[in-house]
Order: sequence, then structure tokens, then C-alpha cells
Amino acid sequence: MKKENLIGNTGLPLGPLSRRDFLCRSCNGIGALALAGMLADELPAGTPAPAGLPLPHSGRKAKHCIFMFMAGGVSHVDSFDYKPALQKLAGQKLPPLSGLSGEIQGYLNKPHRVIPSAFEFKRYGQSGRAISSLFPRIGQCADDLAFVYGIEVENNNHGPATMHVTTGSQFQGSASVGSWVTYGLGSPNRNLPGYMVIQDPRGAPVNGAAVWGSGYLPAAYQGTVLRSSGTPILHLDLPGGVDRAQQRREFDLLHFLNSRHLEERPGASELEARISAYELAYRMQASAPEAVDLSEESAHTRRLYGLDNPVTEGFGRQCLLARRMVERGVRYTLLVHGVEINKHSWDDHTNVEGRMRNHAAEVDLPVAGLLQDLKQRGLLEETLVVWASEMGRTPFLNDLESKTPGRDHNQFALVMWMAGGDVKGGATAGATDEFGVKALEEQIPLRDVHATILNLLGLDDMRLTYLHGGRFRRLTDIGGRVLQEIIA
Amino acid sequence: MERPSLHTSLFGATLRRWPRCCLGAILLLLACLPARATVDFQDQVLPVLQENCLPCHDRHTRTSGFSVESLDSILAGGARHGAAVMPGTPEQSPLIKVLRGEIEPRMPLGRAFAEDRIQLIEQWIGGLAATPRTDSPAEPYWAYVKPAAGPPPEIKDPPLIRNGIDSFILKRLQEEGLSPAPSASRRTLIRRLFFDLLGVPPEPAEAEAFADDPSPNAYEALVDRLLADPRYGERWGRHWLDLARYSDTNGYEGDPEYYHTWRYRDYVIDAFNADKPYDLFVKEQLAGDEFFEMMSAGALPPPDPESVVALTFLRLAPFTEPRGEEDRHVLLSEMTSTVGSVFLGLTVGCAQCHDHKYDLLPTRDFYRLKAFFAAVQIDPPRPGDIQQLGGPQPASFVNPTRKERWDRERAALEQRLQTTEKSFALFYEPLLERLKAFRLEAARDRLASPEPEPPTFKDLKKAIRDDQGYRKFSMEEHRRFTDFRHRVLRLKNAVERRKPLAMSLRNADGPPYGPNVSTTYVLERGHWNRKGEPVEPGFPSAIEGHSRPAPIDLDPFGRYPTRGRRLALAKWIASPENPLTARVMVNRLWHWHFGRGIVDTPSDFGKNGAAPTHPRLLDWLAHELVKQNWSLKAMHRLLVTSGAYRQSSLHSDPDAARIDPQNRYLWRFRRKRLEGEAVRDSILTASGRLNGDRGGPPVFPPLPRGLDDAQKVQGTNTWETMSGPRGRKRSVYIFQRRSLSMPLMETFDAPVPNASCARRETSVSVLQALTMYDGEFVNEEARHFAERVRREGGAGPASRIRQAFRTALGRDPRPEETAQARRLLEESPTGDGLTALCRVLLNSNEFVYID
Repeated sequence: MKKENLIGNTGLPLGPLSRRDFLCRSCNGIGALALAGMLADELPAGTPAPAGLPLPHSGRKAKHCIFMFMAGGVSHVDSFDYKPALQKLAGQKLPPLSGLSGEIQGYLNKPHRVIPSAFEFKRYGQSGRAISSLFPRIGQCADDLAFVYGIEVENNNHGPATMHVTTGSQFQGSASVGSWVTYGLGSPNRNLPGYMVIQDPRGAPVNGAAVWGSGYLPAAYQGTVLRSSGTPILHLDLPGGVDRAQQRREFDLLHFLNSRHLEERPGASELEARISAYELAYRMQASAPEAVDLSEESAHTRRLYGLDNPVTEGFGRQCLLARRMVERGVRYTLLVHGVEINKHSWDDHTNVEGRMRNHAAEVDLPVAGLLQDLKQRGLLEETLVVWASEMGRTPFLNDLESKTPGRDHNQFALVMWMAGGDVKGGATAGATDEFGVKALEEQIPLRDVHATILNLLGLDDMRLTYLHGGRFRRLTDIGGRVLQEIIA
Repeated sequence: MERPSLHTSLFGATLRRWPRCCLGAILLLLACLPARATVDFQDQVLPVLQENCLPCHDRHTRTSGFSVESLDSILAGGARHGAAVMPGTPEQSPLIKVLRGEIEPRMPLGRAFAEDRIQLIEQWIGGLAATPRTDSPAEPYWAYVKPAAGPPPEIKDPPLIRNGIDSFILKRLQEEGLSPAPSASRRTLIRRLFFDLLGVPPEPAEAEAFADDPSPNAYEALVDRLLADPRYGERWGRHWLDLARYSDTNGYEGDPEYYHTWRYRDYVIDAFNADKPYDLFVKEQLAGDEFFEMMSAGALPPPDPESVVALTFLRLAPFTEPRGEEDRHVLLSEMTSTVGSVFLGLTVGCAQCHDHKYDLLPTRDFYRLKAFFAAVQIDPPRPGDIQQLGGPQPASFVNPTRKERWDRERAALEQRLQTTEKSFALFYEPLLERLKAFRLEAARDRLASPEPEPPTFKDLKKAIRDDQGYRKFSMEEHRRFTDFRHRVLRLKNAVERRKPLAMSLRNADGPPYGPNVSTTYVLERGHWNRKGEPVEPGFPSAIEGHSRPAPIDLDPFGRYPTRGRRLALAKWIASPENPLTARVMVNRLWHWHFGRGIVDTPSDFGKNGAAPTHPRLLDWLAHELVKQNWSLKAMHRLLVTSGAYRQSSLHSDPDAARIDPQNRYLWRFRRKRLEGEAVRDSILTASGRLNGDRGGPPVFPPLPRGLDDAQKVQGTNTWETMSGPRGRKRSVYIFQRRSLSMPLMETFDAPVPNASCARRETSVSVLQALTMYDGEFVNEEARHFAERVRREGGAGPASRIRQAFRTALGRDPRPEETAQARRLLEESPTGDGLTALCRVLLNSNEFVYID
């Protein structure tokens, strides 16, 4: 290999790695090869593209993913997991349940009372999905959504559970789903990072940046935070007193110095890569502001996402930005709704009724708006949309007094839904028992969900590996079962 | 119905998945092929295998232990399937099965070989029947055998040999038909040495003086001077902190502060500066509290404070609130894995759930190692420790100067805290009164009979938080209340950090004061409550040759029955007899000096790691370390005074890059990219604003606008931005947070300290360019750099340009560079020219890549 300069068409990772390095480092090589393959147009003429690597691993329609994470643990029995049996037991104890362990069993051993959902459930669409009155607009989209019930998370507390959902491991230090996806697929946009994060404007989730970290994967695969106010990407604004012409002058001198330096050090691919990085930065500075400029969106679109209402404006803006990212080829967009340990978190230990009203009102319209908008623009076909939280909640409470009861954590009853791409709208995987405490039959381990997400993006979780710390790492560790029941 | 338990489902999935899982690893190895009609291995099979498989399966990469380097290596096969080829029976040969996809995944990955090619390889294998393989008796794995002793090799026609290292390097170069690069220039060497040993560039005057020094021993004198410079400890301590996964916070929910881990950071820096023998350094971090030998029935003196601080190493893992046995299992397992990889280069963590896939580390050995930590006790949380971290141990400040300083600072801070709390109370008491009035009014409105309780401070806090529309309290009252609260909180934090405590651990008391040390069990699939066989503490059987319990010196008087386990492990590790310890450490030093280890996977000396490029040199260095009483400074001196180290990073031999494109054999010096810390420290050195103050509680340099807000924990901004000189201390002192890194560090690959990091990446990205060109920090320092040049660089543009080049790059500009720089000075808007030039220099490749 003569030319070693690999320019990430992720617009981001410009490894100083030769392709050979790349292959060696990732060993199983799929991700890196994928990247290399997609970079074929960046390789000089005469360098053969890696021989016919089928990447993605399989033909799937989705090319992008929008992952919406609701931080704090959404109450499944008040949202998408309808449990009418709770009504009859209101205020009473649950009958003994077998096979439970950990904290949930601990709660049940003590006096408790069933708290039925305060919300009515209505059936929507041809699929007849029961959805609570908190989410009427998402309900309208029911036939596009496939639900997974009874997902088990390995830990019953926010920190580890959030890590588990967002990185596949409850321990900090693993690569997030978006990092795996961009590692495996690269990103077609050369002027924006391939993995964008749009946070709740009110603050960060539990674990902070670890939620979109690249863990053991190279830093270039971590999520880049798109800011909701001010400059959209950190350090995109020119230094004070510098205009575009002055920047060009300075970059010209920089290029001159760097070229001279490189001439004396022939073949130093990392130096070449860094020269290119400055040119890409120059281009990104021109193109990124446009990507987040919502002023060109029509009044109709703004209303669709709820930008005209202070309640929905925050998440609406996040959703609208996500659509613009998809349009510009960004591979993976993570939206976070909810803030660590405060009233904007879905962690409703008290007053679940009142608080759920608030949270749901903030997201219902924007989420539905995004789904509709993607659909009418033909983008839903090629975009996998995932809606998740880090755990479900208990249908009962140990506090027997409170007039505004809440719900505790429940690691056995996480509910998620997906839409777009090859997702079979209206389909269902898994089910919880009649009280929504745990799975009716087998719990669905999170790795199955992760394997399914990768599969829907055309990636095989078993083959997407990275050698680190003496072993091959995977998002799904020992491998997950693809939930065929929700794939068209 | 019976709930299918987590374990059944986990197990089911595991069983289903295992074959693919292991095979993946192995098969990987056996990739690739074609062939031609007549089947001569050397001429036909080997080239094709090498062409296709070498990237992952050469003698260095040896992915999954498999290499297509030679007939022998192919016959020997990979770590999983053993022989890749069954002579005479192609259909049984894993190589063919893999090529045909009979074992997943099919190789080469993502492609398939044409049938005729596979048939040719089959034909070749079929023909092998006549030449049966001679199996040599299995040799023990090199890393488990003590390093071979012996002098450096003799070299024919030696060029300049400066010390023993060069004999090994040159011998290898000669074998490969390579020659070393010429010596680097003095200017290059001083820059290289400064960055390498101190992590900052030399001042222009220092570089000039060295370049002009006529003494033949100028280089050696410089090495000695730099090794004695306290900035050395800050530089090399940082390397160790990567391994120790050092952090000032705990991670997870709230990412709460540890408050006292900085004591460990200073301990590490001091240890490097004092050249603490490495064996002692190891023992202190594992068992410093157990050193005192029980010779009589007298009282056990409290452990030496320094050792208590050193033990912080064991508990630097991200730590979620302890919720019983499972979390204890997680904590002790992390400890075991980290100790294994950091001190021994053994990836023992891989054996937690199943026998190691590549190395001779059965699961049982993982738990036998874990048993050394069975007596560890994390102290319970103290009042107010809402995240329930627990653990601070008394550890007084030993150094009298520092003791005086931290005590004085703490006293002053406590004073300020009291005053602030008083003014705060004066401010909020009227607000409390108002809240009380509101409540009475509300109660009257509801006709509630008993008067409500008078509101507390907590009620007020909540009332203010909920008063979004400023109906009860004015906007100014909101602002002041929050401001006061933050000030109080920050002062409390500042006081806490200066208390004589260490974020450490101790042994449980044991009977009769407490329960006995809990038995360690092998845990099936690593699951905390699937207990298998009980085990005793023991050393890895692959090294010891047996799996008998380790001898442990317990207190003969039985009063401190829990002591002694960790010390037994520490002594075994820090022993000249241990085949791994010295090798692993000299290899780390080599890695940090030469940019790549003799073993390129410094924390993995196992079969799946890289094979050593110079095994004899590694052994020789390991012996040297022990011979030098484990002095790291002696080893630095040896490494950096070698001819190999003093080579130029440029070499004119056109063949070299073809023969050894990766420069594995060191035919030239490897250019190095500065780490994030060194980039920041170098920028501050160029601007002349680096605050050289050493040690102490962490510092909080300004964050980019918008980011400091993201540092909020429970609504409180805990990033105590220091805009003054305190925020310009060296980067090793920056508050290290697990939930957010400083962007400048992040873009230059500083690791998030969640797990031990042996080798940093050196990626290049657009965000790195943006941060360096547009970031507030670089621009602020570029302005000061320009001012400094104006001060020190004379009046004319040419002399200023020269001064700027000398300061940033350690050299004079070439005429055409001066001309171009001059153009920028002239064309830039008035007054900004020099700042622009300085900004460009800080962004140049030459600034961050060191020859």
C-alpha cells in the first residue's frame, strides 16, 4: 500500500492509520474495512478498494438511526404497556410472583399497594395497539411502530442501567451504540461528524458524556454534541477579530508550513491526515451552521414539531434537528430527553400521574411530528427510529400513605419501540405478565435488542468486533438474538 | 408459571453462542488463500496466504495466535484450533473449513475464495501426507519463564554502540538487512528529550545553550539534569495515572467527587521524582498497609499514611453505590483484573466468566487471585455522603511543608465558609419569614386548623426552585440565593479536599471484632450468586506450575486475622523471581520512550498480544532493572542514552521502508504525537504563562463556553472555574471527571479513566483542528504568546518571527518561511498580525509532532 492516508468520509476520523494498521487493529476488521471500503473514493487511483467486502453485512433499508433516549426510567404501565389487571387490585398487595430476585423481590417482600395507571388506554390503528391517553399523537402512528416488551436490564439503578442501554454494558468504558454503528458503517457526510448528540437543553443525563462515549473504540467514533443554543458544534465560531478572509490567510500559511514539514518527512500519513483535517474544518465551518439553521423551515413544519409551544419547543427542536441531520447524511443521531436527577427526569418516584403528564406532553407531539415528517419526505424508509428508556417502573409502591404516589425502578419491564427501515409496523416482541412486573415468558435481554438495531442497519453483531484488552469486544458481548418478529 | 430465570436465559444464549464466539476469534486467524495448479508451498501457497492474510496474521500481529509467516507457523496453527492444517486430510483442516464457511465466520472476512483456489489448497494439504510433522515437545510460553540472562550479542563491524541496547538493536537490523539512521541533531535531541522526560519544550535559551555546548558529555549531562527536574515526575506520573484509571470522580449517577484521590496523584508524582524503587512502588499500592511485621504481641501501629494513600490504586474503579454482594463482586473483580494487567501484563479479567481463550488462565485462577482481596473493606458512607461512596481513611500529610500549606489553606477556607454561611443566613432569614407568611395565608385560605410547621431551609430551597414565575421571590433574590448556595458548596468542597484523608481502603476487622473473611468461590459464568467451588488465594498456575494455595503470613497472635493476603500477592509480584513484573515494566518504559513497546501490547503479554520484536533485549532489560535495584531513573538513563534513541527520525535508505514499513526494528526514531496534556502544557509554555506550582487539590481551568453548564450535578455547577494562574497549572492537576472531559484533552485522545489505559491513541480529527484554531484557550494563549514575542523578540518583524519560531518550534525559520510569515503580518488587520502568526505556529504539525 503506497498511499496510507485514510480520510474518514465520516468527516471525522482521520486516523493516522495505514489501512494495514486499521486491519490489524480491528482484527475482525469488519468495521475498519467497512470504513476503508467506503473511503474508496478517497484512495488514490490505482489502489484497489478492499475486495468486494459486503458492507453493510446484509441489505437493509435503513441507512441512518435516530435513537431517542428518555432518561430516568419511563413508567411502562402508564405509557405503552397496558395492564388493566392493576385496576382491580388497586391499593392491594400483588399475588406472590415466582422467579424474581434482587430489589424488586425486596420491595415485594414488604408491605406494598398496587398503583393502577391513572390514564386511560385507547386502541390505535389496524394493529390495535393499546396506548395511554398521554401519547395520543404517537398513538396515531401506532401502525408504524414495533414494540418490544419485557426487556431486562442488568441493573436496577440509573447509572449502570443507562450505560447498559446506551453502550451494551452496565459498566463504564464500553463503546456506545452510535460509536459501533459509525465504526461499522462510516458516515457519508464529509462536512459533519457521523454521530451527533442532541441533548436536552436543560442539562445532561446520568453518566454525562459516557452515554455517547466511544469507550475502547478510537475517540473519533464518539458522539459530537450539537448544541441547542449558540454555536452548534463546539469551536465552530471563528476566533474574535478573525473573519473568513483572515482565516484563509492563516490557513494558507499553515498549509505552507505543514507542506514543507511534510516534504522533509515523506510518507508520514498522520501528517497528511492532519493537513486534510484543517481543510475539512474550514469546510465544516461553512456548512454546519446551515445544518442547524431552522429559520428556513416552514411555519407548517415548525408547528408539526411543536416549536410554537413552549412545552414542546425543547424536544421539538431536537427532533427537527434530527431530521435535518438525517437529510445531511449523518449516520446516527442520539436525542436525550430528561435531565439527571431533577424534575425533568422520567424518574417518577412520587406523583407519577402529574409528572408523567408533564414529560409526555413534552415529547408526544414532537415525536409524532418527526415520524410524520420523515414519512412524508420518504426518509422513514431509510431511517431507523428507536425510542427507549433505561428501565420500566413498578406497578406498586411500598409507601402506603402518599396521596400522590410514584413508582420505583423495575429492571425487568423496559419497553422500547422502533420504526422505519425494515421494521414491521404493528409487530410485537416479548410481553410482560398481567401486572407488568416482569416478562410473561422469557425476558428479552438487552443484547437481543442491540443485535436487532445493528441488524436493521445491516450489521451483524457477531462480526462487528474490536480487539481490546485481550479479547474481541462486541456491542452484544456474547451475541444477541435478532428479534425477527419485528422485522418485515 | 415458573419465571425463566435470568441465569437460564443467559445460559441458554451462552450455549447457543459459544461455538461462534470462540471460533470467531480463531477463525479470524485462518483467513485467506488462493493457489495454482502445481502445488509448491513456498512458491505458490505461501505468497497467496501472505498477500491476503498478513495484515492480521503476520508474526507480530498474530491475531488469535495465528501467523502465516512460514510453513511452521501455519502448521502450528492458532490459539483455538491448534493446527490449521491436517496433513493429508484437507477436509478436516480448519483452514479449509474456514475458507468454505463450514466454520463461521467464513474467511477471508466478507469475501469468499473461488472454489478452484480452495481446491488447490486442498491439493496442497493432501500432498502433505508424505511429510509428517515432527512435533517438538511443547515448550512453555516465553512470558511465563524467567527472563534469560546473558550479555548483549556480539556485533560484526559495529557502528557506534553506546550501550548494550544498541547491540541488540543493531544485530536485529543487520539480520534484516537494515542500517540505523544517523544521529539526530542537537536541536532535535533537546526537544525530544524535554518532551519525553518533562512533557514540555525547552525554552529557546536552553536549546541554544545545548546546541552550542562544546562538552562531549553535554547530552549525558542534560539527561541527568532533566531526570533531576521535578517536572519529570509530573510527566511520568501521568503515564502511570493512565494505568491506574485515575479520576477525581466516581462516575455513574451524579458522578460525585472522590475529594481525596489527588493525594494518590501526588504520591505517584513524588514516587517518580524520588526514584522510588519499582518493587516498593508496587508493594505499597497493593499492600502498603500490611508492611509492619508482627514480631510480638504488641499493638499494631497504624499504617504509614503514605501507604494508605498508595492503596488508592485499588479502588479507583468507577463505583456505583454499593448495593450488596453483587457490587462487592464487581469491585473485587475489577481490582483483580486491573492488578493482573497493570503489574503482570496478564489479561486475567478475560478468565472471569470462562477459561481464558488464549492464555493458560483457567477461571479458577481468576478467583484464586481475587481471593487475595477477600479481606478488603470499604468503609461505610459518612453522614452526608449521599452517593454512599464511603472509604476515606485517615492519612495525615507527611511532608511538613505541605502539611503546613494544606492545614493553613483549610483553616482559611473554614473561616471563609463560616463567614459566608453567616451572610447567607442573614440573607435568607427574611425569605424564610416570608415563606412562613405565605404558608399561614395559604393555611387560612384552606381553613386548615393546625398551624403549619415553620418552614426549614430545605423548604425554602424547594420553594425558590418551584417559584418559576418569580411570584414569591424576586429574580434578584433567586440569583443571590443560588449564588450563596454555590459559594457555600464550593467552600465545603474545598475544605473537604484538604482534610488529611485518603480515598482508600483497609482490611475488615475479622473475628472476634467482626465476621470472618468471606470465602471466595469460583462463580459460574462470572455471575455473583452462582457459586461454584470455594478457592484459596493462589498465584496463576501457568507460572507457578501448580495451583496450591499461596503461603500467607498471618498474624501469629491471631489478633489481626485478616492481614497478610495482599502482602503475599505483592511480594510475589514484586519479586526478581517473577517472570513478568520486570519485563512488563521495562516494556512500558520502552513504549513511552520509543512510541511502541518491544511487546506492542504493553498490558497483554499473552498469546493474543503482540510477540516481542526483540525478546532477548526485553530479557536483558528486565535483568538490568532488577540489577539496578528497580531504579526507574537508571533505566531511563540507559534507554535515552542509547544510540537507538538518539537516531534521527529520518533515514535516507530507500529500502528500509520496504523491508520494515512499520519500523518495528527501529531503523529510525519514531516520530511522536504529543498527548493532550503535553499539547496544553506546551501552549502555556510558549505563552510563558504555565504556572509551575506543584501538587495539591485539583484545578479547574476555564471550559469552553456552554460546556461548564453541562458540568451541573443536581442542579449545581461544580466546575469551580479558575480564570487566574491557578487554572494554568500543568494538565496533570486538572480535575479529572468521568462524565465529561476537557475538549482539548479529548480531541488529543486523553482517555476517559474508566479502565486502565496502556497505550494512547493518536487520532486526527476535524474537532481537533477546530479546538486548536477556534478554541478560547488557544486563542487566549496565542495573544499572550504574541505579547511575549513583542517583549523578547526585538522590534523588527524578522527578529520577531525568528523569536516566535524559536519559542514554538525550537528552531529558526527558513528564509521562505520568514517571507511567508511576513506576508501574514502585513496582510492581517492592524495589530493582529503577530497573534495570527502565533496561532498558526501553535496549530502547525511541527508543534504537536516531535521528531
